[in-house]
Amino acid sequence: MPNVADNTTVPAVEARDIAAGKGSDPAFSALSFRIEPGSFTALVGPNGAGKTTLFESILGLIAPHSGELRVLGDKPCRMRRQTAYVPQAAGIAHDDALIGREFVCAACNAHRLGVALPRARRRAREAVNAALDTVGARDLAERRLSTLSGGQRQRLLIAQALVEQPRLILLDEPLSQLDPAARDWIVTVARRLTERGIAVIFSTHDINPVLGACDRVLYLAQGRGRIGSVDEIICERTLSELYATPMRVIRDSGRRFVFEGGQSRALAEAG
Amino acid sequence: MPEFLQFAFMRHAFAATTVIALMGALVGYFVVLRRQAFASHALSNIGFAGAAGASLIGADPMLGLLAFVIGAALVMALAGREMGERDISVGMILMFSLGLGALFINLYSANANAAIGILFGSVFGIDADQIRWIIVVSLVLLGALAAIFRPLRFASLNPEAARARGIPVRAIDTLFLLLVGAAAAVAVPVIGSLLSFAIFIGPAAAAQAWCPRVGAGLVLTAGLALTQSLGGLVLSYYANLPASSCIGALSFGCYALSRLTRRLA
Repeated sequence: MPNVADNTTVPAVEARDIAAGKGSDPAFSALSFRIEPGSFTALVGPNGAGKTTLFESILGLIAPHSGELRVLGDKPCRMRRQTAYVPQAAGIAHDDALIGREFVCAACNAHRLGVALPRARRRAREAVNAALDTVGARDLAERRLSTLSGGQRQRLLIAQALVEQPRLILLDEPLSQLDPAARDWIVTVARRLTERGIAVIFSTHDINPVLGACDRVLYLAQGRGRIGSVDEIICERTLSELYATPMRVIRDSGRRFVFEGGQSRALAEAG
Repeated sequence: MPEFLQFAFMRHAFAATTVIALMGALVGYFVVLRRQAFASHALSNIGFAGAAGASLIGADPMLGLLAFVIGAALVMALAGREMGERDISVGMILMFSLGLGALFINLYSANANAAIGILFGSVFGIDADQIRWIIVVSLVLLGALAAIFRPLRFASLNPEAARARGIPVRAIDTLFLLLVGAAAAVAVPVIGSLLSFAIFIGPAAAAQAWCPRVGAGLVLTAGLALTQSLGGLVLSYYANLPASSCIGALSFGCYALSRLTRRLA
């Protein structure tokens, strides 16, 4: 396997001038960025800007039309075992019958055929406990999923993504439909993952909940993308370039709000 | 040896029911986990049309049954993937097959008893040859289920994450439907195509209500299925009632109890 020795220097994701989309029309083009191991990147943009397309490209589920995309130094489809995707909690509805521990455990060695032998089962139990501790969900281990809130389910989803010790985690709108306290929890958990060297890409339509946690912002709009610090990206100059129309950014008590052209129509809450 | 096992037909019925109950219930555990009870019921009923068609052309009804069920499983796998759409396409395939079944029965008016046997089971009519067949197919199906256990579990609980991890979720879905279809086909002589819920769904649903772990849940499912099915046979022998009615009643009673205790808990 390439690049095992230099985990810390190989970028988690490196895109050079990529264009990608589901049909023949690319959702974005000429996109270049680099995501370092252990960094927290907020992926922001309006609906339809290509956030999902970018995730699918990184997961190797769709191939970019052009340009070069490398994940952990290799082709995306060859790094799937070290990349974890966390879908939205609303997407899991078939599992009310099981407890949290069983749900998290389902990801253990899931690509292997046959049933787990006792030794593998012991190792899996340890991995599940460690993952539950990381997301602060040990108390959910014995509770049925049907009794959990959206935020609690989201934490179990992240724990499930952790059991195979990925080096890159893609979180797909993990804050949608959560109350503010649950949002803070999820952002804190995601930040904690970066301390272990895991690169986190966190898609969100609202930048405000992750302002204090993210290292960089990757903003997609109008088929274009920019990456940089919060101040470099969520500013009038960059956003006006991205949207190709004058944009206004208003700061209020640590939050940022984005408007089109100085008029009162909000595009999204800073998104 | 208990009195009822002195007869060869009872021994055959016990052997066939034991194997079918174990295999059907374990496959059924995943059917319930994946919320595919309707598809499983439909596959079992579709087998009826295949058996009737095979009788009509003078072929082995079991082969016709298997052919129809596997064909239907493939069509279902290719049809609607969305939850709501899936139920509609499954229902339409079921309706079309039952229509064909009605046509075949109408053309083959010689023996309506054979049709009754397929619909409601004829466990006391199973011979040693059929038992060998049932055992071989059941072992193959259980082997296949054990082989895909881990990818199937992940794909059932979190299909999007499984797909992202490189697990062939669509192939697993199709394979599992084929497995359910074959299991339903081989279970028809024991429980009948109309009462397949008694073995495939009842024990697994009760077990999942009582036990929220996969491993222990599978063991409980198998235990419940064996108790209900063999208990149903014994009850049928002493009370002189149809076997599938007794197995169905026990399965229903157990499921009702599980809902009641969950509600009270």
